[in-house]
Amino acid sequence: MTSMGLEARIEDYLAGRMPHASDLRVSGLARISGGASRETYRFRLSWHESGALQSRALILRRDPPASLIDTERRIEFEAYRAFFGSTVPVPEMLWLEESSGALDHPFFIAAEIEGFQAAPALLWTEPYLAAHEKLAERKWTILGEIGRSDPALLGLTTVMAAVEPEACWSRELGYWEGVLDDDQTEPLPISRAAIRWLRANPPPPPERLAVVHGDYRTGNFLFDQTGGIHGVLDWEMAHLGDPLEDLGWSLNPVWTFGRNLAGGLVPNAQAVAIWERSSGLKADPAALQWWTLFNCVKGQAIWVSSARAWIDGGNREPIMVYPPWALQNAQDRAILKVMGHL
Amino acid sequence: MKPDIAEVLIELSALVARNAAPDIPPADRAGALGLTAALLAIAGRQWDEAAHNLALENRSIRSLLTIPGEDLDIRISTLSAENARLRALLIERHVEVEGRDSRAEAEIWAELVASTVRRLAPGSPV
Repeated sequence: MTSMGLEARIEDYLAGRMPHASDLRVSGLARISGGASRETYRFRLSWHESGALQSRALILRRDPPASLIDTERRIEFEAYRAFFGSTVPVPEMLWLEESSGALDHPFFIAAEIEGFQAAPALLWTEPYLAAHEKLAERKWTILGEIGRSDPALLGLTTVMAAVEPEACWSRELGYWEGVLDDDQTEPLPISRAAIRWLRANPPPPPERLAVVHGDYRTGNFLFDQTGGIHGVLDWEMAHLGDPLEDLGWSLNPVWTFGRNLAGGLVPNAQAVAIWERSSGLKADPAALQWWTLFNCVKGQAIWVSSARAWIDGGNREPIMVYPPWALQNAQDRAILKVMGHL
Repeated sequence: MKPDIAEVLIELSALVARNAAPDIPPADRAGALGLTAALLAIAGRQWDEAAHNLALENRSIRSLLTIPGEDLDIRISTLSAENARLRALLIERHVEVEGRDSRAEAEIWAELVASTVRRLAPGSPV
């Protein structure tokens, strides 16, 4: 690791990527709290080019020493890039660096979408409270647009692992059960019962194979005061699969924020109706229940991984303690709720 | 509750000390303090209830599984280890009765629901 400050190292890196720019300067570098699977920073880059001073707000997303979620940053980068300029609003991706030389860990740099909020806590205050219906309409309409998009036309079938339609559920369940097996810090009788039920009651193949965002929930998009959404973030778990998977994650009861509403915004049935209208797909109730319960298990695997990363010493940030302490039991209760035991 | 509360508190004390330095960027300090406060609130609630809840739950599972024994050492680490052992046995028992003994199954689900009530964190979303 070099003794240069992060600002200077970013300047050095970008000087190599911007051959027509001179006098590059990074200012206002600040870490954005909350990123548990990537270190996220915002900064302003200014430079001279063609005789003029230019400036741009940028975001740096860098892999931490040990992550809550192990993912390929190239898949995340390409997913963002595929949807840029479409009806699914995303920030513009600029540079991807997969080696660890420049900034100690792989990273990417993107344009910042300025002037909007992501923190769910704001949504329970005025003037945001008054915009919940409109925000929900946008939220599940955009999710429907992700579900109806063609992964091949987006160029994502060359980046994301292929999956046969009938194997969507087993691949995902197998992966996340494996994470629980590897990382659990104590026995999980509720999650294990849920997994047995999921294996005994598999869902039908999807109507259509789609890009699955993998973490589409309130908190992972940029919103304004009138219910507009200006950027869908956190594509690090994006993959090909059943579009009902994303709908199920958005209905995971841990994302109700204690309000007993989908995403803390509207009743589940309303969210599903918006999604069906937008995607052109049918959310079969039994299949949707399967994917909602699956996502409760997936959530538990993520919270448990967070505890494991902290316990093993790979990442001692307090953000790694919050999920297991605040969400692990809530996720168990979500499982009980979806299974009809609560 | 994992990670163990005692270990987290030690780590948080170091974090607070680091954030007392004057050259910490305000945004970094604010983020660390907010999370520290949330974790301290959870730890504070657990402080009084942890041993009681673990002993209660261990007794309940032993009764359900008809296993003899009692908790003579009431250190949280010892109670937690025994709790993990008993909950592993509960999983085995659940697998045995699933689809075969609806009454036993219902009793296990009732115990699992009760276990989540004992573990409720302040502000739990569910």
